[in-house]
Amino acid sequence: MTTTQSHRVQTHEPILELNDVSVTFSMDRGDSRVVDEVTLDIERNEVLGIVGESGSGKSMLASALLDAVVEPGTVSGEITFNPQDEPSVSVLALSKGDRQRFRWEQIAMVFQGAMSSFNPVRTIRTHFVETLSAHDEDIETGMERAAGILEDLYLDPERVLDSYPHELSGGMKQRALIALSLVLEPEVLVMDEPTAALDLLMQRSIIGLLEEIKTQYDLTIVFITHDLPLVADIADRVAVLYAFEIAELGPTEEILSEPAHPYTRLLLKSTPNLQAPIESMQPVDGAAPDPVNVPDGCSFHPRCPLADETCRASDPDPAAVSARHTADCHHYEAAPGAIPIEPPEMDEIQRTPSHHDAADEPLLSLDELEVHFETEQKGLGLFSDPETVNAVDGVSLDIYENDVVVLVGESGCGKTTLGKAAIGLQEPTGGAVQYRGQDIYGDGSDVDATDRFTADEIRRALQIVHQDPGSSLNPHHRISAILEAPLKQWYDDLDGNDRQSRILGLLEHVGMTPADDYIDRYPHQLSGGEQQRVALIRAMLLNPELILADEPISALDVSLRVEMMDLLIQLQETFNTSYLFVSHDLSNARYIAEKTGGRIGVVYLGELVEIGPPEQIIHDPQHPYTRALRWATPQLTYRDDRAQTPPIRTIDIPDPTDPPSGCRYHTRCPQARAVCAESVPETKPGSDAVGHDVACYRVQDDHDYWEDDPIDDADLD
Amino acid sequence: MTDRDHRETLTDALDGTCTDGGTPTPFETVSQVTETREDKFRNVYDTYVRAPLSIVWGDWRARIGFAIILCYLLMGTVGTVVIEPTAPAEGPALAQPFETMDYPLGTTDMGRDLFSQVVHSTQEMLKMITAGALFSVTLGTVVGAVAGYKGGWVDTVLSAITDVFINIPGFPLVMVLVAIFEMGENPYMIGILLSVASWSGLARAIRSQVLTLRHESFVESARTMGLPTHVIVSKEIVPPLLPYIVINLTNAARRVIFEAAALYYLGILPFEDLNWGVTLQLAYEAEAHARPQALHWFLVPMAAITGISIGLILLGQSLDRVFNPRVRARHEKTTADDDTLEATTH
Amino acid sequence: MVFNNWRIRRVGQAVFTVWAVLTLSFALVRLMPGNPMGAMLVQLEQSGMNPARARELVEARLSVRPDEPIPIAYVNYLTSTVQGDLGQSIASGEPVANEIAQALPWTLFVMSWSLCITFILGVVVGALMAYWEGGRLDVGLTSWAILMGSIPFYVLAFLLLIFLSYRFGWFPAGGKYVAGTEPGFNLPFISGVVYHAILPVISMLVASGVASLGMRGNSIRVLGSDYLRVARLRGLSDLTISSQYVARNAILPMYTTLLISIGEMFGGSVVLEQVFQYKGLGYYLYRAVNIRDYPRMMGGFMVITIAVVIALFIADMTYSMIDPRAGGSSNESY
Repeated sequence: MTTTQSHRVQTHEPILELNDVSVTFSMDRGDSRVVDEVTLDIERNEVLGIVGESGSGKSMLASALLDAVVEPGTVSGEITFNPQDEPSVSVLALSKGDRQRFRWEQIAMVFQGAMSSFNPVRTIRTHFVETLSAHDEDIETGMERAAGILEDLYLDPERVLDSYPHELSGGMKQRALIALSLVLEPEVLVMDEPTAALDLLMQRSIIGLLEEIKTQYDLTIVFITHDLPLVADIADRVAVLYAFEIAELGPTEEILSEPAHPYTRLLLKSTPNLQAPIESMQPVDGAAPDPVNVPDGCSFHPRCPLADETCRASDPDPAAVSARHTADCHHYEAAPGAIPIEPPEMDEIQRTPSHHDAADEPLLSLDELEVHFETEQKGLGLFSDPETVNAVDGVSLDIYENDVVVLVGESGCGKTTLGKAAIGLQEPTGGAVQYRGQDIYGDGSDVDATDRFTADEIRRALQIVHQDPGSSLNPHHRISAILEAPLKQWYDDLDGNDRQSRILGLLEHVGMTPADDYIDRYPHQLSGGEQQRVALIRAMLLNPELILADEPISALDVSLRVEMMDLLIQLQETFNTSYLFVSHDLSNARYIAEKTGGRIGVVYLGELVEIGPPEQIIHDPQHPYTRALRWATPQLTYRDDRAQTPPIRTIDIPDPTDPPSGCRYHTRCPQARAVCAESVPETKPGSDAVGHDVACYRVQDDHDYWEDDPIDDADLD
Repeated sequence: MTDRDHRETLTDALDGTCTDGGTPTPFETVSQVTETREDKFRNVYDTYVRAPLSIVWGDWRARIGFAIILCYLLMGTVGTVVIEPTAPAEGPALAQPFETMDYPLGTTDMGRDLFSQVVHSTQEMLKMITAGALFSVTLGTVVGAVAGYKGGWVDTVLSAITDVFINIPGFPLVMVLVAIFEMGENPYMIGILLSVASWSGLARAIRSQVLTLRHESFVESARTMGLPTHVIVSKEIVPPLLPYIVINLTNAARRVIFEAAALYYLGILPFEDLNWGVTLQLAYEAEAHARPQALHWFLVPMAAITGISIGLILLGQSLDRVFNPRVRARHEKTTADDDTLEATTH
Repeated sequence: MVFNNWRIRRVGQAVFTVWAVLTLSFALVRLMPGNPMGAMLVQLEQSGMNPARARELVEARLSVRPDEPIPIAYVNYLTSTVQGDLGQSIASGEPVANEIAQALPWTLFVMSWSLCITFILGVVVGALMAYWEGGRLDVGLTSWAILMGSIPFYVLAFLLLIFLSYRFGWFPAGGKYVAGTEPGFNLPFISGVVYHAILPVISMLVASGVASLGMRGNSIRVLGSDYLRVARLRGLSDLTISSQYVARNAILPMYTTLLISIGEMFGGSVVLEQVFQYKGLGYYLYRAVNIRDYPRMMGGFMVITIAVVIALFIADMTYSMIDPRAGGSSNESY
């Protein structure tokens, strides 16, 4: 046992024992086993993280713990529950009534979709009351308890309880759902991707709250996620799931620093994060197997660089790596040597950061850009009282040729709107966007006729790649038709064969071979990564100068993200384009920006609060909000700052229809002082680094800010 | 390098000339493809003829619906030539159905052949149906699509008009209009008149769907690619709406039949030629419903109306499959047979 | 905020529709070539009345004076209509408003029962189909629903009339109540009223076919939802789950079907009441059109339209009370 864990009373006494637990679905094509003979002890008062890619069986395992696998799935094996002061219970053998009491009273579950976990037509209070009465609890004391839990989760109990689900934000709903799962004081809480749909800050805040809740309510938590860095922040032990089996299990620190299973090692390498040098990040080749088609022997052998005859022939048993650390691998001793996690000797040429002198003419120039939306636009409009959302407010930014700018921020902060306004898809309500000096929303009269670009030229120069590849390709057209549309529109001189050969060439270029096979498919017949490649090619066919990449990787599986980012970067070099990248994830932002020598811009409530090279933004952030984002980004190391108080004062983002006065961040900023609420800080250089600008009084050493009093509960430092 | 030069070299790059000396452009990797006219024809045939037929044929509802509608179409075209028109007293009064093969569906109290009446009514009914269904679906789709896609004041005005028509019960309005304008016998005009208010429901539904579709990423991509509006609407917006439009087309057709027959039955529409509604009215006036031996006179036109309605409903319900890319992919020869792939992605 | 705005706008929309219908009626009577005024004059003159007298009569019956300038006539027409003056019947000379007031309750009676039963039947049958999805009952009921959807209501009405009243004599073939009973709150009268309304109400139930198919789809969707799964895990009773979770969420979208039915049913009342010789508003309108009694015709049309506008308005308002998400940005409730 390691020293970092010694502060906790750790008994190693199992509260849940799983023995050869399998979940099977009978289908026409044969039995499909989505959890395959898992044997696992869950210890009292621990946080066990279960990590796996989508389709690895992790959600099924979670449901099996409550014997709640949906029909027609069946659970076999044995699950024993050992309550605190009562005799053990065999979960799978419970009678219907006992099972009904067991669930929620002993083990409760929080689902991924908090949005859809509440009955839309009933108030939150009703959900609590009906749960209490279904378990014959006293409503009054139960509701007092509920109010207490809600308060512990930084929610206003009265307001939340009287709301309907649709009236709460995603983060509030997720916390309300956690409170609902705790209202009967269960011993175990199973959480299936509870933060997947939330923003970084909210995600990190909830993780922090879970820590507190766990101690306060004496809980054991099973935390299921696809996000390895996230689980590293909360779990005491981590189980890595691959192809419906546990591949590796051990204390978090050991799994992160000395993983023994090749899959874990490759997964770690493929996960973008803030610390590791980007050269060490590499994608995992191949794809996870289908439940009806699991390879014989070790299920990872087709993708494993260490695989040999033994691996193909026999399925490895768990091997003890250390006292509490097992790996299901024949070669666990050789793995660390064969797959180094430390970066290889650097012989790759690091791309020099592109320097842009003031003399360079920017490709695209945003000047005090402002986009305000009016909500409530429909109907006769006679009696409506529209509210204005300031999606983008006063943003100035220059993008040069072969430049990469990554915008990061919470959802709803206006980063996508900013991007769309920049490429001419969202008419701004104020300010201007200039393409090589010409206003893209104007008629071109602002420049001389000789230098003027036509509307078509500008349109072609600015392209987009969307977040969800599934919806960016029209499901009714084949790939060939989708890719032909831009060519037909812009290259009159090409005939059908020319077009097709060009499309085939590009498909092959991005690794979709045989290309002839792909062009006759419909989008639904491609995987997410392939769909995104097609969307990317479509944008590239127009040979654009700038591509707005709107979270192009967030819909993909973790192990595919690095690969897609590498492809994006490679295409950027090949085609000499610039990228305006939008991301909610600082790790991905760093990967892209560092690899291309670009910049990271941090957006908060429609304003660009800090921009600069990744080194500065990641390692020397100046704006308190950037620091909060940095804090919220999960890291692949065991953190000592787990219990640290968050560097934000309120968890919930302010209402964008009524943004705070002065610096918009002052309501959450721990360093806010009186002046921050009164006036908007101008943008000043944040460090000596070129292009590092910050909109915060704290970078101005001689500002009156330093004389002011902190507001409310802000720190004085 | 000036901006203009810059653009041109980039275009060169696209044409296959490598400009930056370093990385080769992907356009150099060109596969040789030659597609002959014959290939093209085969593709078109496969997409537009073979696949839809194969889909329709794979569904029993579609087969029945198709067969029924085909029967009515034959009656309306070939039938009028083959079957002789009826005249009073050509046969015995009130012959029962299937009594003699001369009058397979029996005769009226005037001795007119009911089968011939049904057949000869079909053409006029089909004309009404076609005109009415096309009118209401076209108007509804256009109004809804324009309101949804354009937005702004166009949307405000069109939506207000749509809302008014949704609130007006169609049948009484048509009755009043027929009474005031003293409609003639042109079946196309009658079909259109019957649909004067019914387009509004479709318009509202299409509008709300277009509002959603507008924000779909693939529509935005098309806009970003600079495709002209008519291409975006016809290639990107309309295909996803087609199943819905087809169902509404058959529903509109059924409504026209129901209402036309009702108006003739009530005697509000003037008539010269016989049709199902008129037969119904004559039967009613002759108190056929109260006389057991005349019952068939009443049942025959009702069966004709119900039959075409069942055909349309079955056809409408199954035709939407033709537009579903998942179903199409399975029925087109040119696409790989990948049932397994689809099953796993689900 | 948004909620109230939406309600105010909904009132505005209803008023706008009524105004549009009134204006349409005025335009039809006054402006169209071959307008009713002209037609009435011709009618009366042909029946041997002298032109001056005929003109006087037309003015009196239609509440319009032909020599008035159009705008003034329009304003007068609007004010008198809003005050409830719909002119006088040509045939009887009675105020149309009074005649309609006599006929309307009967139509409302039949319509509200048809609507209620259609709705309940659709919900119950749809829920049954969803519960046994894919089973034999499901297939059988689905076929039944398609068949119901294919039959025009008047065909069913005729079949009922032919068999249940003429053939077997179980039900009356016409009328609204038993002749000779005293109208009022007494058992013979009320039971007679119910007895006479049974066949018309049943005829209108064809709409339940479409409704049940809708309910089936909704229920299947709710049965697969996350919140239902969570509710089961929370140990809620089957009763709570089926009533508060499945039924409530599956029925809400049914309002769409209900709202469409309102317009169709009121429109259909013309044919229905003619078939059953049930003298309500629909029959009144049918007679008026047949004898070209324009004041009756326009009055009947206006009242039917206003009834539909009010019914839709009430339905929208009650819907917004049942569904907390209604109103606001998505007012696509039907």
